[in-house]
Amino acid sequence: MSQRKSYAVGTGLFIVLGFAALAYLATQTTSVVNSHQGASYTVDAQFANVGQLKERAPVKVAGVRVGQVQSISLEPGKDIADVKLSIDKKFSQIPSDSTAVIYTSGLLGDQYVGLQFGSAKQYLANGGHLVLTRSTQPLEEMLGKFFGAGGTADAFGGSYDVTAHFSNVGTLSIGAPVKMAGVSIGSVVGVKVDPVKLDATVTMAIDNKYNQIPDDSSAAVFTSGLIGSQYVAVQPGGSPNSLKDGDQFVLTQSAMQLEDLIGKFLVNGSSSGSNNAGGNGSSNQPAGKH
Amino acid sequence: MSARMEHENVVIASLAQIGRCGLFLLRILSAIPRSMRHAAETVRQLWFVGGMSLTIIMTCGLFVGMVLGLQLYHVLAIFGGTSATGSVVALSVYRELGPVVTALLFAGRAGTSITAEIGLMRATDQIAAMEMMAVDPIAYVAVPRFLAGLIAMPLLCCVFCGMSIFGGHLVAVDWLGVDNGTFWSNMTATVDVWDDVVNGLIWKSLVFGGVISLIAVFQGYTTAPTSEGVAYATTRTVVASAIAILALDFVLTAFLM
Amino acid sequence: MIDTVQAQPDDRALVSIRGLTTVLNGKVVFDKLDLDIPRGRVTAIMGPSGTGKTTLLKHITGQMRGDAGQVLVDGNNVAQLRRDALFGLRERIGYLFQNSALLTDFDVFENVAFPLRQHTRLPEVLIRNIVLTKLQAVGLRGAASLMPSELSGGMARRVALARAIVFDPMLILYDEPFVGLDPIALNQVLKLIRTLNETLGITSVLVAHELEAIKQVADMVYLIANGKVVAQGDPKTIAGNGSSWTRQFFGGDADGPVPFQYPADDYAAALGFKQGAA
Repeated sequence: MSQRKSYAVGTGLFIVLGFAALAYLATQTTSVVNSHQGASYTVDAQFANVGQLKERAPVKVAGVRVGQVQSISLEPGKDIADVKLSIDKKFSQIPSDSTAVIYTSGLLGDQYVGLQFGSAKQYLANGGHLVLTRSTQPLEEMLGKFFGAGGTADAFGGSYDVTAHFSNVGTLSIGAPVKMAGVSIGSVVGVKVDPVKLDATVTMAIDNKYNQIPDDSSAAVFTSGLIGSQYVAVQPGGSPNSLKDGDQFVLTQSAMQLEDLIGKFLVNGSSSGSNNAGGNGSSNQPAGKH
Repeated sequence: MSARMEHENVVIASLAQIGRCGLFLLRILSAIPRSMRHAAETVRQLWFVGGMSLTIIMTCGLFVGMVLGLQLYHVLAIFGGTSATGSVVALSVYRELGPVVTALLFAGRAGTSITAEIGLMRATDQIAAMEMMAVDPIAYVAVPRFLAGLIAMPLLCCVFCGMSIFGGHLVAVDWLGVDNGTFWSNMTATVDVWDDVVNGLIWKSLVFGGVISLIAVFQGYTTAPTSEGVAYATTRTVVASAIAILALDFVLTAFLM
Repeated sequence: MIDTVQAQPDDRALVSIRGLTTVLNGKVVFDKLDLDIPRGRVTAIMGPSGTGKTTLLKHITGQMRGDAGQVLVDGNNVAQLRRDALFGLRERIGYLFQNSALLTDFDVFENVAFPLRQHTRLPEVLIRNIVLTKLQAVGLRGAASLMPSELSGGMARRVALARAIVFDPMLILYDEPFVGLDPIALNQVLKLIRTLNETLGITSVLVAHELEAIKQVADMVYLIANGKVVAQGDPKTIAGNGSSWTRQFFGGDADGPVPFQYPADDYAAALGFKQGAA
């Protein structure tokens, strides 16, 4: 009998230890730490490019967490990303003319939304709208500005399978996302070599709800982050006509190769890359019109 | 010709074993209501199977965490990302190393002891004696051990992961100089309760616990009642458990993540 | 020639076996076996090794079913009982295993108390009294807190006996109870068997080889060979009953109905001598 009691006690201790370990792991080492959801209110903001921003990413003021990103969506027909932010009720004195900026934590970190205070006397309330926003800069555009290589390419047709020719697709593969303003609108369904033109033909399937993409939009092969996987970014042009099934992106920008970048750097020295520098480069020219 | 026939026999024999094991699982599940009256036995087994494995689990957890901290730090340093050491240690432990290593250790320690115990009970007629005393041996011997393994595995896994985090922290922060705040804040930012802890840790360890306990009880119950039969059965428990764990690990990872 | 004996019908038989035929692994274990175990008596079952004496006990408890014939225990056809009824029957039968089969995780007291705890909801005080009484009957009340690994073979067997009688069964089956015991322990077990039978009237079936021990205890002996009863009667007189079986079994002949030589091919040919060659 006393044998049985000691087993029960020992077993009870073991179970308690196990659950304590689970509770510790769940609450102290995961993102639950950050997300005690008190009462909160929602405001929205529009961005031209949300970059790597994800839902539940933090919203910070002066580096201190005040809430989180509730949802990210793309309105069909528009090329602006609509981001809803859920802010803790205790931070109820954010001026209504504040700016929402997408920052990156450190060099490799995740992105978050920082709010820079404005000066209005009125404060944001539930359903409010942040008018001033600053979007992320994709890496290629930054480097492009740095070296002057490649401009934005042109529009792409909108239907539902669309093709583009690239002189170099880098590590782009089937299944890679197709994004506009940072939001996924479709995916790559085929990557083949064109034996006649001797370049790569990429076939993309774009969601039918995004059927108002101007047909002079450009398709560029960008990289997620510094060492991430590659995707096709669609940059809208200004044409009143939309891309349809079977159309082709006329302006494309190929993947940047690390070696070419370094080569450029060495050849051209530092900043103020001009178009000449772009012209001297080897294989990453804009594909131009084929 | 005869070599090929032997090969077929091995495959067919393995399939037959798996089939028998599955049928045995049905017997165990149908006996669970009957074994509720032997709840005290389940508690006892929970101690033997879980509580007595704590030492090995905690020690190995600590060392796994320390090794991970060390290895990952050096790899991340190549990319200048040592601030991510905490999150990578946590993610790799919660999703993969925690459940799998705990399961392998559990199979080796608790699984073999279950098999040996049941096999010995068979060999010394204790099972037959129970049948004679009108006590259902499945309800009294097999089900409590099965349930104990099923319950103990997730708990042991949590303890393992806790010790790993501690070990990783010890190596990264105290010895290699990663900043303490960065270690924890990166970890809490990356690790998600539902995706990593529940989906990775809890589900996987539950499934592994069930499979190992089933194999251990099955091997013990169906072994030839001789001492060499018991020895052979314990080896088979470890081998079959290891294969099952790693195969299921792949399936579960694909399924859950 | 194998002599078989017709079964004597006995209305007071507790166990009645008629026409039992069992084939295991292609070998005929029982061939239309007829047997009666009289109530309140000690019956011994003997036979050459491998004739299935333990198998017979398993038929009585319902652990095995014959391919033909019937086994009646207290009027119940064992093979046809449903699980609950079978378990109910087994609660009235005590079984002493050859190797005692004590549960190794429990001490002596808990081992004897095991059936009580499993099948009854008696208060702790009552359980304690019953267990101590049974242990006293087998002479091991002082060993109540020992573990099975600490017991000698004879002591373990007596504890197993205490466990077997904890419900005051109507029938006890002893599977080779004398094997491996020194003369003192053997006499202690003999005394217990006799006492249980005389004072409690428990029907006892003994499967054993030791004729001298059986003579002191059994009222009747069955000799089973080749799946049939080949001799039966009072153990004191059966050795002299004259059949070839009893001559070999009790008379000490090395060769008889059970051959000395295991079946083999021709000896001369095996040694390389051709038949008829010089």
